[in-house]
Amino acid sequence: MNRHLNLLFLATENLLRHKAKTVVVCLCLIAILSPFITAIAISEGVREQSLISVNAGADLYLTYDEFGRNSAIPLKYLDEIKKIFGVTKAIPRIIGRGFLQNKLAVIVGIDKEDLPVSVSCISGRIFDNANEVVVGHELAKHFRLNLGDQFSMRCQQRKVFTVVGFFSSDSSIWGASMIFMSFRDAGELFGKQDVATDIQIYTLPGHNSEIATDVYDIFQHEAYRLQDKQMVELYVKKGFMLKEGIFSALYVVSFALGVPAILVASGFGLSERKREIGIMKATGWQTLEVLELISMEQLLISFLGATIAIVLSILWVKGFNGTFIAQFFIAEITMLPKFTLPARFLPLPCLLSFFFAFLLTMVGSVYSSWRASTTSPVVLMK
Amino acid sequence: MIRTEHLCKSYSHSSQYEIRAIYDINVTIPKNSFVVFNGPSGSGKTTLLNIMGTLDRPTAGKVFLYGEEITPFSDIALARLRREKIGFIFQDFHLIPRLTSWENVAYPLVPRGIGYKERFERARLLLEKMGLGDRLDHTSEELSGGQQQRVAIARALINNPEIIIADEPTSNIDEETSVQIRELLDELKVRGVTILVATHDAMFEKVADVVFKMKNGRIE
Ligand SMILES: Nc1ncnc2c1ncn2[C@@H]1O[C@H](COP(=O)(O)OP(=O)(O)OP(=O)(O)O)[C@@H](O)[C@H]1O
Ligand SMILES: [Mg+2]
Repeated sequence: MNRHLNLLFLATENLLRHKAKTVVVCLCLIAILSPFITAIAISEGVREQSLISVNAGADLYLTYDEFGRNSAIPLKYLDEIKKIFGVTKAIPRIIGRGFLQNKLAVIVGIDKEDLPVSVSCISGRIFDNANEVVVGHELAKHFRLNLGDQFSMRCQQRKVFTVVGFFSSDSSIWGASMIFMSFRDAGELFGKQDVATDIQIYTLPGHNSEIATDVYDIFQHEAYRLQDKQMVELYVKKGFMLKEGIFSALYVVSFALGVPAILVASGFGLSERKREIGIMKATGWQTLEVLELISMEQLLISFLGATIAIVLSILWVKGFNGTFIAQFFIAEITMLPKFTLPARFLPLPCLLSFFFAFLLTMVGSVYSSWRASTTSPVVLMK
Repeated sequence: MIRTEHLCKSYSHSSQYEIRAIYDINVTIPKNSFVVFNGPSGSGKTTLLNIMGTLDRPTAGKVFLYGEEITPFSDIALARLRREKIGFIFQDFHLIPRLTSWENVAYPLVPRGIGYKERFERARLLLEKMGLGDRLDHTSEELSGGQQQRVAIARALINNPEIIIADEPTSNIDEETSVQIRELLDELKVRGVTILVATHDAMFEKVADVVFKMKNGRIE
């Protein structure tokens, strides 16, 4: 036990004694690990956000299908849908995008009583009358909107809205840039009557397949699309992860540069190290003890590097809102108003990055050290 | 105590010929003796001492220590032997750079699980005996050659070895320190240590019990 402690302390001292090398290896580790940890944290955050928004949502989503894309669905079948056995609620929505001055906002038109529970007002009230809207907090902050302020959207200048409330939502990506208004107002804004972008259907558990058959009977001559929660979830995630592939490619490049750098840096001062090992062996150190010392050095340096990388990633995400890296995960980030980047730092990726760092530094040092500690001290001390 | 039988070490230089560093060495070194190996440069003194001190392996022949043949020992067994019985002093000191004197002296104690305080105390005692009590915290870069060699001697003594092997311990240092070092080694001999020295320094022959003259890898 004492022996291992002694070696651990000596390993620490050795890292301090070879400061330049320690710093270089640490920097390489940070360069490799930070983007990795940040990327994982963002994609975990996005995943969680989409789960929240989907879980809080309906059981089935009904739209028309045009050119293989979701398209608007007429309201004339709404009453028939509501009558299907097992359907508890059928809520038509309009979800669209429009410019408020130079900022793109997500417009949600939904009747007041159908507002999702995940939307809670922070100030003001829910819209009651025509042309009243509730605005997401980031958007409100950007335009310095106050209760009672009036504005119009670029697509329908003559329609003037009045701000009656501001809301926050659990789902920060969505909530931040949204404008909620009544279904009717949204229809007028986009100039479409008697259609919804989708109908949300809430059902009793276990009835989805029968409902699907009934929906088929209603829409048999139309091209429609009925999606359940899982499919919507996939769809949402796909939207977010659009550019993940590009990120991976870039990461592979930086990785391909960083790894050799680490290997080279770990090998710095190898001839001095060799001599040292020779002296140690001549004065009675066992091969295993030499290797233990070197492994401990790598363990410490990986721990140091990984910890700094994790701290930097947290700073990157929380302090700089994922500048540069976030755009790989949230496709239209430049077109969205500013919002708080969702990110989750889970223990497993952090642990993984630590092991990864250890592996890298070990690969860089152990083979040469093992060779050194098994050759005759006479040769090493030359 | 140490005995060699037909000890040979050769280095194959190219496929055509090989260099015989030492050839057919048969010596017996009794316990608690002061033995000096003398001879011109390249005569094989270092090679012989390294092999007897288990730092190197012979190409042929046998080495016996306390009557036991150690040639077939594993690297682990040889390292243990060095730790328990043998201390080395080298011509160019071989101190670890950027470590202080006392850390260098105490370095062999680290893997033995000896705590910081005891390591420091033992190193301090030895360094004081070497007249370096005021140089405990100096790194080897801050010491003169003679001081470095005395640190190296303290390190060789830290494990209380029964054998001290010194390869030209005085050839890189001034005359005054050389005298000190000769006296130190002699004092160690008085305390029961067996001492093997390779040297050009004729003064060593005065304190030696036995002098082996080497030439072209053989003992004359
Ligand atoms: N690693 C090696 N490879 C090839 N030849 C070697 C090697 N080590 C030593 N030799 C040769 O072995 C012979 C004996 O060398 P050694 O170092 O034992 O001599 P020495 O008596 O210690 O000389 P000096 O007084 O100069 O230290 C020399 O001819 C040398 O060239
Ligand atoms: Mg020599």
